[in-house]
Amino acid sequence: MKNENPYQIAEDWFQHRNWKPFPFQKQTWKAVLEGKNGLLNAPTGSGKTFALWIGIVLNYLNKNPDAFTKPKKGLKAVWITPLRALSVEIQQATQQFCDEIGLDFTVGIRTGDTSTQDRAKQKKNMPDLLITTPESLHLLLASKGYDKTFKNLDAIVIDEWHELLGSKRGVQVELGLSRLKTICNTLQIWGISATIGNLQQAQEVLLGPDSEALQNSVLIKAHIQKKIKVESIIPEKMERFPWRGHLGLHLLEDIIPILKKSRTTLIFTNTRSQCELWFQAILSKHPEFAGEIAMHHGSINKETRLWVEGAIRNESLKAVVCTSSLDLGVDFAPVETIIQIGGPKGVARFLQRAGRSGHQPGKESVIYFLPTHAIELIEASALQKAVKETVVEDRIPYLLSFDVLIQYLTTLAVSDGFYPEHIFKEVQQTFCFQAISEAQWKWVLNFITKGSQTLENYDEFQKVDIEEDGKFKVNNRGVAMRHRLSIGTIVSDAMLQVKYVKGGYVGTIEEWFISKLKPGDVFTFAGRNLELFQVKEMKVLVKKSKQKSAKVPSWMGGRMSFSSQMSDLLREELYKANHPNRSKEIKALSSLFERQKRESIVPEPHQFLIETFKSREGYHAVFYPFEGRFVHEAMGSLMAYRMSLLQPITFSIAFNDYGFELLSDQEIDMQQVLDNDLFTTKYLTDDLEKSLNATEMARRKFRDIAVIAGLVFQGYPNKLLKSKHLQSSSQLLFNVFKDFEPDNLLYQQAYRETFEHTLEEGRLIQAMERIMKQNIVWKACEKPTPFSFPIITDRLREKLTSEKVEDRIRRMMAQLEKD
Amino acid sequence: MTETLRIQDQEFTLHPLGVAFWQNQNILLIADVHLGKTIHFRKHGIALPEASLYKNYENLDEVIEYFNPEQIYFLGDLFHSVHNREWYLFEEWVANQSAQITLIAGNHDIISDHYFEALGIEVLDELITDDFYFTHHPTTEPELFNICGHVHPGVKLKGPAKQTIKLSCFAQFEEQLILPAFGDFTGNFYIDQKTAEAIFICTEEEVILIN
Repeated sequence: MKNENPYQIAEDWFQHRNWKPFPFQKQTWKAVLEGKNGLLNAPTGSGKTFALWIGIVLNYLNKNPDAFTKPKKGLKAVWITPLRALSVEIQQATQQFCDEIGLDFTVGIRTGDTSTQDRAKQKKNMPDLLITTPESLHLLLASKGYDKTFKNLDAIVIDEWHELLGSKRGVQVELGLSRLKTICNTLQIWGISATIGNLQQAQEVLLGPDSEALQNSVLIKAHIQKKIKVESIIPEKMERFPWRGHLGLHLLEDIIPILKKSRTTLIFTNTRSQCELWFQAILSKHPEFAGEIAMHHGSINKETRLWVEGAIRNESLKAVVCTSSLDLGVDFAPVETIIQIGGPKGVARFLQRAGRSGHQPGKESVIYFLPTHAIELIEASALQKAVKETVVEDRIPYLLSFDVLIQYLTTLAVSDGFYPEHIFKEVQQTFCFQAISEAQWKWVLNFITKGSQTLENYDEFQKVDIEEDGKFKVNNRGVAMRHRLSIGTIVSDAMLQVKYVKGGYVGTIEEWFISKLKPGDVFTFAGRNLELFQVKEMKVLVKKSKQKSAKVPSWMGGRMSFSSQMSDLLREELYKANHPNRSKEIKALSSLFERQKRESIVPEPHQFLIETFKSREGYHAVFYPFEGRFVHEAMGSLMAYRMSLLQPITFSIAFNDYGFELLSDQEIDMQQVLDNDLFTTKYLTDDLEKSLNATEMARRKFRDIAVIAGLVFQGYPNKLLKSKHLQSSSQLLFNVFKDFEPDNLLYQQAYRETFEHTLEEGRLIQAMERIMKQNIVWKACEKPTPFSFPIITDRLREKLTSEKVEDRIRRMMAQLEKD
Repeated sequence: MTETLRIQDQEFTLHPLGVAFWQNQNILLIADVHLGKTIHFRKHGIALPEASLYKNYENLDEVIEYFNPEQIYFLGDLFHSVHNREWYLFEEWVANQSAQITLIAGNHDIISDHYFEALGIEVLDELITDDFYFTHHPTTEPELFNICGHVHPGVKLKGPAKQTIKLSCFAQFEEQLILPAFGDFTGNFYIDQKTAEAIFICTEEEVILIN
């Protein structure tokens, strides 16, 4: 018996809970029932999970009216989420709906946290809905008979698609979907995305350009506008506010009243080390918060993370200090207030964080911005404007990621094997590989079977075999095991488990941090002071320590760049410095601007500022394009390269979101630089390529590529393969390819990615063109200016030299003798 | 381009490719070549370009032509892996040598001695010639000067304006000289300059003495 009104069940369920479905939810149900694919544009906390899950269930019931009485076993839907932390939330919501309408569906989770036993159980008996990550989906494709597992899959949902889109995990999803489209009898594909600039492209990437799936698809917008209020925390005494720094702890007292006033507050920090420090500092200055404040970041163990998430939900915490680990998903109704410490570097991220508060419909979200150094107040002012004008950014999808393709093909070869002619057609239909040539495809096949040798001679290369009937298959068990262990496109440092000597798991920590400690050293981790006892296999054994001062691990993450929209706003705000109509943040900076003007200027829209000065370190030249870190990295290398053609010279290059610095032990003849028109966009690509060769950028990109493509193996779980070894060996590999196989597609990819994703060549050209129209103002200063301070104190640096290494060594030695 | 080092009245010439030549005895000293590594990696599914393996032989030929030694001592880790196809290349290379070859076995040298012996290469754990004690691992022995490899020494030089240079080097201590790794495809262990008596940096063109 077919249901007269297929929506009845959902409507009843909503009514029962005294809810009313939003129009976008109804639209989504209808579209799913009509068999469409699509992209749902809805923010977190809007009921997006129910929009899709109910649609999928209704559609299933419509096609299988006897599902209530005669349930069929097997996987029916897959839900992909980028973060493990989100899976529990989705499981609870989806399971609840099924239970309450009396449908005997099970919802299972399969992520890196899932135990081996549970995985084995799942394999025998798949849940009806499986919540998983892109990596775990590929692991399923790496197991034998995967086609049977997915045969009756009706629907797949890619949650937080905007997060995956601009990363190689997005490519992983594209490739996974290309396979599922073939092996599933019928498959509906849906994505959920927050608002980004290129939503339509996001839909195209998800479903495949020119695909049938795309033709039969819709874009549904939830149109939920949240009211967001941004408040900057402005220091009372600006004179004493530091010019540099990234911790912001001097403003700690200013947030205490905010915490006390609000039910629950999330305090977002940009790095895990900052998170640890803030947590410690609040507790030591305000012990009254003990037990009411917690910490949440990606390195803390799963139980603690889940406990914190639960405690936020049942309102037993006053505040949680966190990182991007709480950026996505998870609805926390009690959260009333958000505090952002330091620049969030992007409008979308800032909005997303703001949206974590005030979940009740119609309620205003409040976000406080706490600057960590003076110039960040300009950023605060720009953010205010961005929120008002609802500026959104694009997420740029990856193209021709051969490393991910190589990993994927090996995955298929590990499980059931594949025939290239079938898979090529599927791969060509993805957005990432729409332009792959026949020759490139052959190269990739050759790479996995013969290690990219063209010669037919006998070779011991062993990875993928070509069987007699033309099937590509991995038959070597060692190769298969190593491959399964290294599936995944997020490359991180080797992680070690931190455990108490007496037993008890504390979390995981990057190996490079531990490698800097000696037994007996005390470090802060997961909010505790721990003494290093010893490092054994992949475990760090620790004891509790009563010592007060401790080292804090500083994680490498959190180096992000301004988007171009944000950079535009930033410049606009800065240019207002000299004008009466300015924000209170800019007003607060007036003492800093006065200091800046003593030595230099605060640039106007028609001016481009360059400052030079000498310090004990050497000769500094600081340029201020205000274009964001990535553009500055490119422009810094480019300028260094062009200047190095004028004379043999060595530069150390530093950059942040405001500008870049070229530092040298030799005086830089700035007049000569200006006379030689070094900002020209002529020969830009060529010069940029040469500067790339001279710096480490492409080499660093290659590290990830080498790991993803399986050229560098990160180690067995129980055998410690030093990540230092990994680092150096991917660098050595880079050199080997450079010298012996420069046409290797993976080697070339490192350069292409640097151009497309790090340097953003297009933005660089625009910036250079803008500078060409400005008046260049060169100020020879006596000492560092407030603007230059955060840049010249940055320790992460790039190098470029046009000198002979022998000359540099001799000069260094001469210098040493002088000292 | 080379640099001369005197130890106990004996003269050693240090070459930018990381080898030392004992002038008085006409012996060439080479450490940590790691032959067979390329194929070893390829056998494990890691697609290193095969062309890269010839580089080691070219470099070996270059230093042998330059010094024309009577004897060659390999100070360990000559062959990186178990017997693989590169062995035949090595065999061919050995056949063309007029110098007598001795291998002081290292931790990576797991190929059975009789393979080497069949090529006329003597395999020893250690060797004493005059007052010099040749080993793979750094080892001290009273009254003897130790020449060894294993460590793959390198230095990080720091200069003004936040400049650094990293290169491999010869590291000389009171009773010891550690040779850099000869192999192209090897990493370095950066030693603390202050602990060494003398450091000889190898650039592509020169050996330069620092401190």
